[in-house]
Amino acid sequence: MSSAQVPAARLLRLGTVAAFLLGGSALMLVSTPASAVPPFARQTGLACEACHTVPPELTPFGRRFKLNGYTLTTRPPLVSDTDDHKQNTVFLTDLPGIAVLAQMGYDHYDRAPPDTGNPYPAHAQSDTYQFPDQFSLVYAGAVSDRVGGWLQLTYNGQAGSVGVDNIDLRYTDHTFDNKWVWGVTANNYVTFQDVWNGFGSYALPNFNTVTLWSGGVAGAGLNGPIINALGPGSVAGIGAYTFYDDSLYFEMSAYHSAVAGGNSPTVDSASLAANGGAVDRFAPYGRIAYERDWGFHSAEIGASAMYVNWIPSVGYISAQQKLAAAAAGNTYTPAQTFYPGVANRYTDLSVDWQYQYNGEHNIYGFLGHVTHERQQNNPQLVAATFTGASSPIYTNPTDTLTQFLATAEYFFDRHYGGLVSFTRTTGTSDPLAYGGNGSPANQFMVFELDYIPWMNFRFLLQYNAYQVVANNQNPFTLNHANFPNSPGFPNVKASDNNTWVLGLWMDF
Amino acid sequence: MRTLAATSLLVAAIALAATTVRDAPAAPLPPLGGTTNVVPPDASTLDARALVSNVCSKCHGPSGNGVSISPLFPILAAQRPGYIEMELQLFRQRERSDPHARAFMWGIARGLTDEQIEGLAQYFSSQPPASGTPSRDPALAEKGKMIYENGVPERDILACLPCHGPNAEGVQTFPRLAGQHRDYLALELHEFTGQLRESEIMHRFSQNLTEGEIAAVTEYLASK
Repeated sequence: MSSAQVPAARLLRLGTVAAFLLGGSALMLVSTPASAVPPFARQTGLACEACHTVPPELTPFGRRFKLNGYTLTTRPPLVSDTDDHKQNTVFLTDLPGIAVLAQMGYDHYDRAPPDTGNPYPAHAQSDTYQFPDQFSLVYAGAVSDRVGGWLQLTYNGQAGSVGVDNIDLRYTDHTFDNKWVWGVTANNYVTFQDVWNGFGSYALPNFNTVTLWSGGVAGAGLNGPIINALGPGSVAGIGAYTFYDDSLYFEMSAYHSAVAGGNSPTVDSASLAANGGAVDRFAPYGRIAYERDWGFHSAEIGASAMYVNWIPSVGYISAQQKLAAAAAGNTYTPAQTFYPGVANRYTDLSVDWQYQYNGEHNIYGFLGHVTHERQQNNPQLVAATFTGASSPIYTNPTDTLTQFLATAEYFFDRHYGGLVSFTRTTGTSDPLAYGGNGSPANQFMVFELDYIPWMNFRFLLQYNAYQVVANNQNPFTLNHANFPNSPGFPNVKASDNNTWVLGLWMDF
Repeated sequence: MRTLAATSLLVAAIALAATTVRDAPAAPLPPLGGTTNVVPPDASTLDARALVSNVCSKCHGPSGNGVSISPLFPILAAQRPGYIEMELQLFRQRERSDPHARAFMWGIARGLTDEQIEGLAQYFSSQPPASGTPSRDPALAEKGKMIYENGVPERDILACLPCHGPNAEGVQTFPRLAGQHRDYLALELHEFTGQLRESEIMHRFSQNLTEGEIAAVTEYLASK
């Protein structure tokens, strides 16, 4: 991979920053007692390694802690409001489960991007400090002996705004012999409730700060299945699950549009535009997984299915407006960004897997997923049968997309380690939807080295290497209209997006 | 709205179905700490069962039988009650401080009462013992048996048998070793050797053991 060859001067510069950060950590190692532990550890009295191999990946015990609704506690409640007639009516812990989560990054592109004339982050820049990339306040822990939750408020450094982030509230119970564990979850992120790491919101690698700069080129974004995109600010759902015989997991959930700032379920056009669309009515999600643990080993195989009616954000012109505009010889600018009642139907089917070896010193794992998506486009938005929007936005009545992710990781003594990850997405060609030659394909790899002085403090050096980013053409033609301030910028290769990331993650 | 109502009904039905499969006693399970439910003073065993179901079973065997899956967590089934009680007290007082004790049991044991400790000791000691893992190397196990029964006199390693019993079933506060996870036994021997787990007797007995001898004696004990 020629793009991985970085000039010595750049390495030297990165090395200086690394030395500064690592040197800093060495100082902290001397001066700070290791007493800063997140709320789950405060609540349970357990060390992080009880639940995590390396955060956020869960151990078998951690998965059971989450499936039991984060309720395991070894702290006595502050108020014991109990008598013979009424059981505990309030459960107050003496330590509220508040945590701070912070993620910082320093990103360096192999090739400095051209100038779009737009401010950052629309115009990606090289050598950016994302400080913070994300900064969150979290309440995590038991609310009662049956109810627990994770509620997160996040400042997003790239968006420059504070918003409601991941929420997962659970009510759980289990039979005396733990043969059946069951629960109800209310959450705002499809797959945030999941306990395995091969797929969904906690799929590894989980440290992602990179903005693909050639996203400024028409149709050059990284396409993925819709299930990856139904997160906070876009949906909320409720689900019921059981975990039978310590091995078989089954879940049924339903998600509804819950647009931040919008008036759900009557979604307003501004919110739709901001989110690229909205879920129409309920989107059912089902999940089944089988886990087997033996010795130091844990293996899981699972499958999921989701069906989404998605109202895409498109320029809407009513027939009358269209006639009026044509009569006046004008081009009409749509007032609404969606076309009421017009939805595409997405069916996402996934298979995921995870093998984990959680030994005394050595930890390693292989995990990933394949997701196949079938997207049936509404005939009113498809070129051949187009009747309504400002212009047709799909070439085909049906598009498909397949994403494959495989990750291998290794850690020694929970202090040193890293991972290699490979993602490939392919699909049917749809020039109107994806631009250019219409291919949605992309392919990239992530190489990561980690140094973890404490379990809640992690340094990482990451290299993101892109093989395909734009319409399967490599190199591809730069649309100079998008880069008015860089007229002479030559055509670009996918690997021009390759990025070094120096990151810091902490949780206390 | 109809869809919403249907979803609520579905969730309620699943909840109801799940509730009916409970085979627990009618009384709700008290959380660890035991202060939110009134537990009759003579119900220490019941309380212990609730603790096992809610807490211990997550590491020491999911069904509460005390037979752990991960070989880093000891099998507690049929363990000597005196040993369990002594260790839980050491965890609670933070006097047993090997890395795994710090990571797991310091927290778990911090709120236990004496009655709960006694109840847990009774509970686990009365569970049927785990059937040992068949030996992968009978010659090695035979060598381990020799060390267990006779020690290695020329290197000042005494026999294990006098304290741990002829069948490694344990005696009073000396733990049962028969059928224990091989990896757990090896881990503990290394911790005694390196004085990470404090025990003057075990440090003295184990410090001259070679890696080969540790492999042999753990092979033998795990297979019993």
